[in-house]
Amino acid sequence: MFGWNGKIANVYLTEKKTEIVPLSEKFLSKYLGGRGLGVKFVYDLVKPGIDPLSWENILVFATGPLTGTTCPTSGRYAAVSKSPLTGSIFDSNSGGSFGPELKFAGIDGLAIYGKAEQPVYIEIGNGKISIKDAKHLWGKNTREVTRELSKLGRVACIGKAGEKGVRFANIMNDYTHTCGRGGLGAVMGSKNLKAIVVKGDRKVSISDRERYKKYFQDITRLLVASPVSSKGLSEYGTAVLVNLTNYMRILPTGNFRFSRFDFAEEISGEKINSVFPIKKTPCYACPIACKREVRNTEMEVPEYETISMFGSSCRISNIQTIMKANRLCNEYGIDTITAGSTIACHSELNGEELTDKKLLELVELIGEKEGIGEELSQGSMRFARANKRPDKSMQVKGLELPGYDPRGVLGLALGYATSNRGGCHLRAYMIGPEIFGKPKLVNRLTFSGKSGLVQVIQNLFSAVDSLVVCKFALFSVGEEEWANILSAVTGIEFVSESLLEIGERIWNTERLFNLKEKFSNKDDTLPERFFREDGGVAGRNIKKEEFLESLLEYYRFRGWNRKGVPTKEKLARLNILN
Amino acid sequence: MWREISKFGKKMVQCGLTHSHFGNISVRVGNRLIITRSGSMLDEIDENMVVELDLDKPSSFDTIASSEAIVHRHIYKETSALAIIHAHSPFAIVQSMVSSTNLLIPTDCESKYFLHEIPIITGGVGSKELAKNAAHALKDHKGAIIKEHGPIAMGKIVEEAFVTICSIEHACQVKYFTDILLQRKR
Repeated sequence: MFGWNGKIANVYLTEKKTEIVPLSEKFLSKYLGGRGLGVKFVYDLVKPGIDPLSWENILVFATGPLTGTTCPTSGRYAAVSKSPLTGSIFDSNSGGSFGPELKFAGIDGLAIYGKAEQPVYIEIGNGKISIKDAKHLWGKNTREVTRELSKLGRVACIGKAGEKGVRFANIMNDYTHTCGRGGLGAVMGSKNLKAIVVKGDRKVSISDRERYKKYFQDITRLLVASPVSSKGLSEYGTAVLVNLTNYMRILPTGNFRFSRFDFAEEISGEKINSVFPIKKTPCYACPIACKREVRNTEMEVPEYETISMFGSSCRISNIQTIMKANRLCNEYGIDTITAGSTIACHSELNGEELTDKKLLELVELIGEKEGIGEELSQGSMRFARANKRPDKSMQVKGLELPGYDPRGVLGLALGYATSNRGGCHLRAYMIGPEIFGKPKLVNRLTFSGKSGLVQVIQNLFSAVDSLVVCKFALFSVGEEEWANILSAVTGIEFVSESLLEIGERIWNTERLFNLKEKFSNKDDTLPERFFREDGGVAGRNIKKEEFLESLLEYYRFRGWNRKGVPTKEKLARLNILN
Repeated sequence: MWREISKFGKKMVQCGLTHSHFGNISVRVGNRLIITRSGSMLDEIDENMVVELDLDKPSSFDTIASSEAIVHRHIYKETSALAIIHAHSPFAIVQSMVSSTNLLIPTDCESKYFLHEIPIITGGVGSKELAKNAAHALKDHKGAIIKEHGPIAMGKIVEEAFVTICSIEHACQVKYFTDILLQRKR
């Protein structure tokens, strides 16, 4: 077998047992790896209605066929489980070097079952997996844990937030890389699993090196030619977006009450570059290198989403404060989008303007789950409901919306509403066509033509998340190039359409899981605010009838019925057994 | 200013000098340049399809500008150009691919008078190498052809750059047919 290792490790924490089982090439060709592999396991093995923080949930870490090769942006892996924040199936995707190391250790991933009696960590060496005592690590935050374990290999771990069950706790790998958003860190904590440390030295086998070399060059050339990857992200990191989104009036401000922030320049990529000496800290095999830190300080430069949530949405204009909040989140292992959005929701409900000091206090209270932090640690949906104002939570399916106001990017609005993991921009990153003009600039202020486009991009992203490569490469590299290099690596012929079909299979499997969890078409919507208020731009509120029409059209494109349920014919065509 | 860009964007497509979302147009105003956005179609330009950039200081807005913004910026810095057009016209591309030298000599009367010679330059899309070569060529030529890619021309107004793009394509078309007929005669 080329590309894959053809093996997954099962770790049974309750029984303190491990085993390595084979995965067939036929199975892997159907779901690829990463997100697809994890989704298939979770769909098959997690019973409907279980508590995501109980022993019955499982947690899968999975690499893909390209992980660990030299293919640009292939240093990634996925973690998949049932989310304690949304109750939906949930995949998170992270860079750094942990994913490749897992592959080098001779497995494609690991599935974790049950719950350990005492805190443990998992150590993976070449062909050997052991469950070890982690009592000495419990109660420590991510940097300290990573430092302690890094002598043994690459580390993915949780901080105190994961231990305490913060519903949006992250898994952090390689210090600052994040499996974010859906609270998979809390799932890890609920299993008394503090960390996974992995070391390996096996190279990924490639079927046809000559073809691989050619496609590698094709992809590299496209990345260099695109100003988004080679200039914007490379020069400013994702903070490149702050001034752009503010200019286009889609920068969430004051919990999405407004779409423009007067102090955007103060928290922009340009400002960061002018104030701090920057060191690039790229992920494995990534020529884009958007990840950065302040030289000689180990202080991470926050991502755009973090800046927009702690900055404009909380109306904080001090970039240093945002950096401190980001650092605290990484230490505790907390999702910055949900943390920022929940704090912005809290601020709106209280009618209080946040100070820099107050923001940092609240982040720390969430991490410790103390005082008001106990309530905020549930996420904005539960917090706003508990305060009888559910309309103040800016979420879809329980997941807080990221840094793009959907009123000014209507394709993304549909993408938010139909996302299987809730209010997420990364299921179909419509910012590509609607803002960056990649692959083609489309009118961002209309639903026209968006239904078909959104579902194709969702399918493509599902496949790309399973290879596993970075979504940012998709600004320049399309399905044809990915199919080509995948064929060269695995020796199995993939074409664009087969890649999209795999993505569609993954998307529909996720949808089936969510339907079993009682999600329905009623959940494919947006917060009422976006239909009622204009965000400070007259006439910019979303017309509900247009949205609903577009949603129905989306279901038709998907081959689903009017209630958003996949038809038998569609499932049969995708070879999914319901 | 976007109206002028829009007017000549439409003409470019009507004349078959470019199509789909290929090609780009910019104008210089002081130390700013206004350029078509990445992924935009030149016959559909409105005020949302252009972006204003600082001539000296790249910013996040470069990210949504045409990928050739770096080339336009460099030409403006090195020459007196106030407008630039880059097209993907087929005959110019063909001639740049078959020419054995890096100078194309027009054969028709008007192009001889008007263009004298057309440099063929190299460099990847949006690369520093291309920016440098284009600026160098346009220091003493009205236009040039980027090998395998298409012509680029400058002017004091957009119309002047448009005329040069048309002339280059015309010269390449005439040369193409002339060469075929001469070959048949032999």
